[in-house]
Amino acid sequence: IPGPLCYSLLLLVVACYRHLASCVGGCTDSLQLRDELRQTREKAQKLAMAICQHLTLHLRDKSLPEEQRKEMELLWVAFSSSLELLHLDMCKVFNMSDIFSLANTDALVQTGLQGSEVAARALSLPDLNQTQSPTLPAGLESQERSTLEQEIGQIDHMIDDMEMKVNVLRWMVEPHGPQYADPLSSTDSASLAVFSVDEEQPGHQPLCQRNKFCAVLFLFAVVLVAGFISVSMVLFSGVCF
Amino acid sequence: IPRCLSDRKYSLRAEKVVLEMQDPKTGVKSQPQRLVITTIPHAITVKLLLVSLLSSEARNFGSMLVALGYIYPLQDHKRLVIKPDASLYRFQTPYFWPTQQWPVEDTDYAIYLAKRNIRKKGILELHEQEHYNRLHKWMNHKWDFIVMQAKEQYRAAKERKKPDRVVFECQERAYWVVHRPPPGTVSAMDYGLDRRIDPNTVEVTGESLLVKYCATYKNHDPFLLKCLPSNPWLTDDATYWTLNMPNVEIPTKMRVERWTFSFGELLSDPRGRNDFRLFLKKEFSGENLAFWESCEDLKWGTAATMREKAEQIYKTFLARGAPRWINIDGKTMEVTVKGLKHPHRYVLDAAQTHIYMLMKKDSYGRYMKSPVFKETTKKAICPEEHKFSDNQLEQNARNRRPSLSPIILRQMEEEQKAKMAANVDITQLCRFTTPVPHLAVYSGISDFPSATASPSLPFLAHTPACPSPISVALDSTSASERRVEASEGEGEGNPAARGPVGGNVSRSRMALSLRRLLKRGCTPSTMFASLSPKCHSAAGTSSRIQPISPNQPSQAPPRRIANFFQIKVDIPPECRIYPIESEDEEEENRAASRGGVGAKEIICPWESLTPQNGTG
Repeated sequence: IPGPLCYSLLLLVVACYRHLASCVGGCTDSLQLRDELRQTREKAQKLAMAICQHLTLHLRDKSLPEEQRKEMELLWVAFSSSLELLHLDMCKVFNMSDIFSLANTDALVQTGLQGSEVAARALSLPDLNQTQSPTLPAGLESQERSTLEQEIGQIDHMIDDMEMKVNVLRWMVEPHGPQYADPLSSTDSASLAVFSVDEEQPGHQPLCQRNKFCAVLFLFAVVLVAGFISVSMVLFSGVCF
Repeated sequence: IPRCLSDRKYSLRAEKVVLEMQDPKTGVKSQPQRLVITTIPHAITVKLLLVSLLSSEARNFGSMLVALGYIYPLQDHKRLVIKPDASLYRFQTPYFWPTQQWPVEDTDYAIYLAKRNIRKKGILELHEQEHYNRLHKWMNHKWDFIVMQAKEQYRAAKERKKPDRVVFECQERAYWVVHRPPPGTVSAMDYGLDRRIDPNTVEVTGESLLVKYCATYKNHDPFLLKCLPSNPWLTDDATYWTLNMPNVEIPTKMRVERWTFSFGELLSDPRGRNDFRLFLKKEFSGENLAFWESCEDLKWGTAATMREKAEQIYKTFLARGAPRWINIDGKTMEVTVKGLKHPHRYVLDAAQTHIYMLMKKDSYGRYMKSPVFKETTKKAICPEEHKFSDNQLEQNARNRRPSLSPIILRQMEEEQKAKMAANVDITQLCRFTTPVPHLAVYSGISDFPSATASPSLPFLAHTPACPSPISVALDSTSASERRVEASEGEGEGNPAARGPVGGNVSRSRMALSLRRLLKRGCTPSTMFASLSPKCHSAAGTSSRIQPISPNQPSQAPPRRIANFFQIKVDIPPECRIYPIESEDEEEENRAASRGGVGAKEIICPWESLTPQNGTG
């Protein structure tokens, strides 16, 4: 199912977009940053579209069993929150690109940043069905601006659409997760566990469960072999002496 | 000053100045900040900042820049002040600038706190902890999202180089110090309770209006002119607030001047409103303001009390025969009464606006010329300006204390309201009011007690409808007005008076028993002092009370007795309730023909009624 997987990817992309957005207008603002913003944005939109369709489809299905419906509603609430966050960030970037034109680099605010790769994480994710778009900057800023405007409208429309088509009572949704984000866990909490991605494997495949199983099996085999060797050593040494 | 006006003006100006400061040649010179692990560029000191700004206003303007969050301090990050020593500051990234259009979302704050929790490994500051718990309670449904997004953002931050990560953390922290200030600090954002929009205020639009507005208010803008004695936000001395408390005895000259700007200003200032109320009381048109205030109370009150309030307002101000009848035109009355069938928060808007315009066009002008206002203006004070030295300023900052708890303030307000309600003066004449035999009497305290009335006042207070003293007392005044109202009580066999008695009987209606209504649970408000001895037999004989002669409706007699007091009296079960809307002026003629019913009761038009021909 692409849906749940997409969601954690979406979260990742939205987080990266925010980091990138916080650099706009600062001294690290550049064509490259704007381009990264654009790519991240596009990725986010594709993911959002997929999740939206997936969720809408399932939640309008009246024959959905209760438990699954609850899971879907939880995901729905979380998804709409991410969309709102993305929408807000996009609006901010839109406004700021008005004030800070890259043509006049003298006016960029000296924020103390020195520039670093934030977008790599978001952009290196596997695309769902499409190849990576070329990294050449789009060119004219005004074109970029109108594209951004359009995309903001699209996200807006998506949010509205969702509200219209699916009636989820937000206050009835109960989250599974803990109140505090566990700083020590490297994997996500049990809550949307099905939908989470392990940090250590950016190129995560749906087959990871199988991989884990194989790893466990392998370890077991290793332990067995080690045990066998040690036993046989004892026996042989016993025999020798 | 509407907040939006001064904010936008200064936000835009601030942005312009900050951008100018970036110029490498003429802008602020920056230096690198040396940390243990690395060096981060673009740190500036206030000294250089001030040199760059070059004016005496620089200090104030610089404080504003810091308080709004365009610049943040690197040390002592919780205090958003400028220190003209070598402390370092840095420019905030535009993403975190406090531009008006971008809402500061609680969701973002929750994510930030969750991230901070991760970073600090579970050790949050007390106020952050409280916020976090509160947000967890109110945004529980999106908590999974918040936690996961916090983790993602945390991980994304780790991708950055260490110096950039430090900078970003500082930026974010500074942003939240501005928008969710720690306790004990001031906030330039001023999100307090007074931020709510008052629907009575007029929004200023249009260029000439703006110009006019600015010209009028420019001396009252604490940004443009020093406010006396001193601006508490700058000097930490709260005298200004003490002098301008809502119900202070002696207002300041500036405050009184503001009342002259518009009627809205007068009404929205509690002290001004009190003054106006005093004036109206002297003019015997206090019911207008009382009505307006009750409408406000209805609009802003809790939903549970709305129905009661609407009924009470109707009975007191709008119904025919109401004790404080207000004069609104027929069309508005029709609309309002119709609306009251299904009362909601804004059902009295039309009537309220009418009365507001009436007061504005009529009473306001006269108030400005009245001795009350002149007296107030004469007594108004103009405080001396404070001159604090730096040490004194520091001392003030240390001695900051929180103000009275809003709970206590609210209690004080309620007490004051109750006190005022107890002193209410019902002086409105209405030609429709007539005493009714067995029913209780509404009262207020009269301003000019007549000789006969005052001695009987305490007497009246306890034995309300005792016939002879009342009728004697009331007979002797020219325009006495009676309003009779019953309260809940079991029906007692009061010998109900049959029809109007006495010489000059007016066929007017009057307020009658609300027993049925009250039985349904609509309790009378505490607007009127209620004394509730049960008056049994005496009630019956009050029929001898002289009703108002319709020939003297609109006199405002100097010697008047408005002695009404609410007494609980038992009403015979036969009392009828007639739907008001089915009656019109012609009904008066039918009153006599009803064979001495006399007792028509004021009912709220939304109550459904069973028409019966009742005995009084």
